[in-house]
Amino acid sequence: MSAVLADVTELLGAAREVYAGDSVAEAVLDTYARRLREPLRLAVAGMVKAGKSTVLNALIGEQIAPTDAGECTRTVTWYRYGRSATITAHLHGGAEVRLPVTRSDGALVLDLGSRTAEDVAWLDVVWPSESLRSTVLIDTPGIASISQDVSERSTRFLTPTRSPSEADAILYLLRHIHASDVRFLEGFRDTAAGASQTVNAVSLLSRADEIGSGRIDSLLSAARIAERYRHDGELRSLALECIPIAGLLAEGARTLRESEFAAFRELAALDRVVRDRMLISVDRFTRPTHDTTLSVADRRNLLARFGIFGVRLGSALIRGGARTSSQLSERMIAQSGLIDVQRFVADQFRSRGPTLKARSVLVGLELLLEDRPARESGRIRAGIERVTANSHDLRELALLSQLRTTEPVVSRSDAAAAERLVGGAGTSALARLGLQDDADAEAIRARIADVLEHWRRLAEAPLADRATSDMCRVVVRSVEGIASELAVGDGSDRFATSDVVLASRPM
Amino acid sequence: MTKAAPPAPLTSAPGDDTSSTTLALANQQLAHLVEKTADLSAVLGRADLVGRLEQTRARLNDPFVRVIVVGQYKQGKSKLVNALVNAPACPVDDDIATSVPTSVSYAEEPAAYAIVRNGNSPAGGVERLPIPLDSLADFVSERGRRNDEHDIVGAEVVLPRELLRGGLRLVDSPGVGGIESTRSVSTLAALSTAHAVLLVSDASQEYTEPEVQFLKHALRVSPNVAAVLSKTDIYPSWRQIEEIDRSHLGDLGRIPMFAVSSDLRMLAAQEQDRVLNEESGFPALVAHLRRDVLDRAEIVHRRAAVHDLVSVVDQLGMAVKTELNALLNPQDTPAMIAELEAAKVRADEFRSRSSRWQVTLSDGIADLISDTEHDLRDRLRKVQRDAEVAIDEGDPGPIWDQIAEWLDQRVANAVSETFVWTNDRSRWLSEQVAEEFSLEESTLPFIDVSDTDGVLDPVEDVQGMDAGRLGATEKIYIGLRGSYSGVLMAGLAMSLIGVALINPVSLVVGVLVGRRAYREDKTTRLSRRQAEAKNLARRHIDDVVFQVGKQLKDRLRFVQRVARDHFGGIADQLHRSLSESVLAAKQAAATFESDRNGRVIELKRQLAHIEALRAEIPASVDDAGAGR
Repeated sequence: MSAVLADVTELLGAAREVYAGDSVAEAVLDTYARRLREPLRLAVAGMVKAGKSTVLNALIGEQIAPTDAGECTRTVTWYRYGRSATITAHLHGGAEVRLPVTRSDGALVLDLGSRTAEDVAWLDVVWPSESLRSTVLIDTPGIASISQDVSERSTRFLTPTRSPSEADAILYLLRHIHASDVRFLEGFRDTAAGASQTVNAVSLLSRADEIGSGRIDSLLSAARIAERYRHDGELRSLALECIPIAGLLAEGARTLRESEFAAFRELAALDRVVRDRMLISVDRFTRPTHDTTLSVADRRNLLARFGIFGVRLGSALIRGGARTSSQLSERMIAQSGLIDVQRFVADQFRSRGPTLKARSVLVGLELLLEDRPARESGRIRAGIERVTANSHDLRELALLSQLRTTEPVVSRSDAAAAERLVGGAGTSALARLGLQDDADAEAIRARIADVLEHWRRLAEAPLADRATSDMCRVVVRSVEGIASELAVGDGSDRFATSDVVLASRPM
Repeated sequence: MTKAAPPAPLTSAPGDDTSSTTLALANQQLAHLVEKTADLSAVLGRADLVGRLEQTRARLNDPFVRVIVVGQYKQGKSKLVNALVNAPACPVDDDIATSVPTSVSYAEEPAAYAIVRNGNSPAGGVERLPIPLDSLADFVSERGRRNDEHDIVGAEVVLPRELLRGGLRLVDSPGVGGIESTRSVSTLAALSTAHAVLLVSDASQEYTEPEVQFLKHALRVSPNVAAVLSKTDIYPSWRQIEEIDRSHLGDLGRIPMFAVSSDLRMLAAQEQDRVLNEESGFPALVAHLRRDVLDRAEIVHRRAAVHDLVSVVDQLGMAVKTELNALLNPQDTPAMIAELEAAKVRADEFRSRSSRWQVTLSDGIADLISDTEHDLRDRLRKVQRDAEVAIDEGDPGPIWDQIAEWLDQRVANAVSETFVWTNDRSRWLSEQVAEEFSLEESTLPFIDVSDTDGVLDPVEDVQGMDAGRLGATEKIYIGLRGSYSGVLMAGLAMSLIGVALINPVSLVVGVLVGRRAYREDKTTRLSRRQAEAKNLARRHIDDVVFQVGKQLKDRLRFVQRVARDHFGGIADQLHRSLSESVLAAKQAAATFESDRNGRVIELKRQLAHIEALRAEIPASVDDAGAGR
């Protein structure tokens, strides 16, 4: 267990002593303790019909979350790992009801029986999927839904006013920036990890295949738009990254069936003119015809699973040399942007998992102290401050969000370098240094010496104000962490300027 | 009369119903009649009536029917316009959005113009600068506007297209915030001037809440709202979405819906493929634009034209008849002159400021202005009270952004409501005035029922083009959001991060000492922040009342001016007809016997001519097509 988690666990133990006898507080503390032991909770949120369930399915690699053309997900649904599949509905008021596990066409049927979505607080789906071992995925109803209570349920869940958010990190799906999107992100950021923390959110430009009307170059357009959003001031201060993803394509590719591959192959083998004619529109594609042996139902299924863009791309990839279904699936996944998302989640969220969880719990603990003041709460409060100040990871996160949300106190290029060094572009040592994966030891050593020299000088500059030197010290500490991780000495006394002796190692 | 062969269709899509309707034919006849009457008026020396008929004719030839295409960001509005006219009139891009409204209308030669605000001329004059068609994107899209020193408020494209020939103007509105709350007022203002509205939403999802809200408002402001479901070529489940959307629409009222694919339509035009055009769903939309939008507007114009014709011909006849009467029956002349003089006095009163319709108009506008202001203040006061309650409930600092946003939305909502309400009332007032006018007029020898349909038309002029600009109110919104939250949030963030970064040695001492001081300070700081926040909210609302109040007042004054000029002009003409009749009668009495016979023959000829014209004017226009 990482150091910060151990600290927080200890703090929770102390809090339990303080609140001994208060059953409500004890229950809350127990859930926090459990939360620290569980995998990272990753929520998928966004506007209604942004493709949340589809992306979730793509991440899991199975078609379990139900998807539909109309508004579909109406309750918050948790997907977590377990050896056997179960579905439990948690009702308002605390009661739990087991639901039957039935699947139709692969997707789960979340049949609430006689109950309506209003009665159910959240659904808990336990599923034996490897992808869920390291992460708990949470599907949320869309915001700005036409039925106001559906979107309220979602907002309440992700941005509760009196308790920390249930999610540790969030994938925020947007199709294009709307005013209400930005407000929602702000709301999440405020409560999930304390004020102005950007570090637990990433925005996905979803349904990327539809941006250019499903043309074969749609994903290029999507990449361009994501690039613009990445530099967009407002979004930059709200989320760490913006990644385009074609959710339907990714979902389809990860669950590609042999029969579908055969269908793609048949389409690819058609005469070009005939194929182009067929793929003009969805209506043309699903019309009865003698040009192909694929039945109308087959073609309908293909469209539903991959979208018109997916069908166009699939046949193009086969003509481009994809020979087996696994090759096709691989190439489609590569095109869809799913790999970038997975890599980002692993780099930024999972590697920071303990820190993110610790943050969520600390915020919750503070709120608890405020809501139910106890005699010795001062002790806990001091403990919270101590943990926050001691953990270098928490300070890195704080600095990262400061760099993203406020005017930098150092020059722009320094601010960009600082952002990278504290892990803004990936938490691996080489990513932080801005070096390629194949950089040799000499280059690494030289870079570390350079960087360290530079930031120490900034930190100790006589004219530097307090904020600047504080910031520089955090950066210096991060670089020292990198150096020790890579076991490279820079020849000088490593901790000369570091003020934190008890710091934990970076994870 | 056989249908005149229309000129060869100019690159219209195959399968479109762009042929002239019977109505358009009737229009030509009517225009011809107007011309004849104008000639006659000129012969009889009534230049004022010629002027009136000129306007009538212009309106018949170009009814100036404006259709605004609105919708959320990136729903394919520009592409829809392009597909309708089969030309790249509005620039389309996967990313960059349209930033100023672009109007597409008819001309023999294609051309493009930028509407530029002229900084030098006072009162926000606009200029029309010709620009090359293919560089339009540099002027109207977000990208182009950045490095442009011109203050562009809109663009105009003219194309030789059959669809546009009837006077149709398609206006592509800037996407961002077509519906967003802060722009709602300017959007509504633009809508109220349009003859029809097309709300575009793509088939990827059912209507969202803002869209339904928007439709509700639009229905109250515009008489002709239609929904367009776009991009049906790439969404397999568009029929399902259409079904869901229809059920949403069902709750609102009768809104026709058209599922279309712009890409298919353009492909169809390229390949001249009639079947593909059918599949694109456009023929139905085109038919809607022609039948329900264009023709309906034309009927209004035709009805106005018939009224104008009857009134002009009757007035022309009056002088002739009077003179003829005086010549033929000299003994009745004094009585007739007395009667005419009396009528003239009445007509004098009629056009004077104290006439009933004038009083109704000026009183009505004055009332309306004060009511509007009261309504606006009342609504905003409620908002202010709610805001103060919200601010009192906690620390406004950290959530100021949300408060500002909320305030913003509530204020925009209140303003929209007031706007819609004012719009309704001013329409009602003009009808009222028209009624008064025709009532009084009926006491005069010649009846001329005036229509109100045209009265509010001129209000549309520049405002429609304004929709894309940052209004003064919006600037205030943005300023408000920036200033306070900027100062506060930065301060707050700094203090938080400051705490987090205190080094552990000083922490032990520092925290213990510092915490007490901090807590004591906290309550005073909190109340100060609350007071400050309330102050800001109040000032903001004051500003809105000031700005919006002025705008609404100007609008109402404009309505008043237009109504006065419209009815006043008719009254003036009537007055002149009567005075000329009196003059003619007096002259007739003094005419020598020898001239008399020649004059009688001449007058009889003129009268026959006038009566022939009168007989040609159709009794009603409703038989020509779908009436109201």
